[in-house]
Amino acid sequence: MSELGDIASDFIRQEIEEYIARPDERERITNTFRRASERMQAIAAALIDGDHPTVDRLTREALEAGVGALEVMDFGLIAGMSIVGVKFRENFIYVPEVLACARAMKAGMAHISPILSASGIEPLGKVIMGTVKGDLHDIGKNLCIMMLRGSGFEVIDLGVDTSPDKFIAAVEQHNASIVGMSALLTTTMPNMGKTIEAFIDADLRDQVKIMVGGAPVTQDFADDMGADGYGKDAVACVTLAKQLLGVAA
Amino acid sequence: MPRIDPDEYRQRLERISVLFEGIARHAGEQSLHRCPYKDRHDHCTAHFGCRNQGRPAASGLPACAGDDRLNYKSAWEV
Repeated sequence: MSELGDIASDFIRQEIEEYIARPDERERITNTFRRASERMQAIAAALIDGDHPTVDRLTREALEAGVGALEVMDFGLIAGMSIVGVKFRENFIYVPEVLACARAMKAGMAHISPILSASGIEPLGKVIMGTVKGDLHDIGKNLCIMMLRGSGFEVIDLGVDTSPDKFIAAVEQHNASIVGMSALLTTTMPNMGKTIEAFIDADLRDQVKIMVGGAPVTQDFADDMGADGYGKDAVACVTLAKQLLGVAA
Repeated sequence: MPRIDPDEYRQRLERISVLFEGIARHAGEQSLHRCPYKDRHDHCTAHFGCRNQGRPAASGLPACAGDDRLNYKSAWEV
């Protein structure tokens, strides 16, 4: 039986005691943290707390001190996120807290990215993501971004209320291969079509795949607008992005 | 700079993907009965107006007055 007392971090011990009830999960998570150094436990604790500046700093310091990137992923970032996943599933935290944790994970992964490049590991593709002009809803888009990054894509997030010009400028600047547009309102959905038309006018339509999504969006609507694909949720978004780039799912 | 074995890295990505898939699926289910912009303190994190937004709490975020029994989206003002 795993011993919580072997885990140095008070915060991590309390998180496990308070939130991880299923015996199999408790044992697996406890075993992981028993093997984690105090430095890795501190990264995980900051991630669980959604404290991205601290994850940023601790990850940088760990890598500079010679800790391996995979150790940081295993015992800091992924280990922390596994507790976040359980807390979310059990409704102890909600989407805004999860997205803060995902942002913290991204801060840590940013330091690992140069090591991946140096190892010849490139992102699956570059994706420009934004909510269309006139629309300020971003939760769905942010979940898609979390999933895409977690699957190995590089994502440039343009935020909300994104004009066609901004989408085009981002594709040109980053040489992206996919554009993802989100809309939650029926009144802003037509701006997806306007953005696609703007890509045609800019002679860039053939250079990018365009995928769309959002609560009121349907496959038929995506087809009518001339999008390359429609994803009904964040999981489908990743599958679609891989399909559009011909990457094995 | 130390190098990373691509297969080892791919295994980590698969673990992250499984974790995030679970999160995304639960987010979809949860959004059927709870506004996704409402945090664990029942404060609103939306960057748009909503009729359920109350007075700002100590965090600076408005308290959410919605009870989620009705369709919360009808309260969104944009």
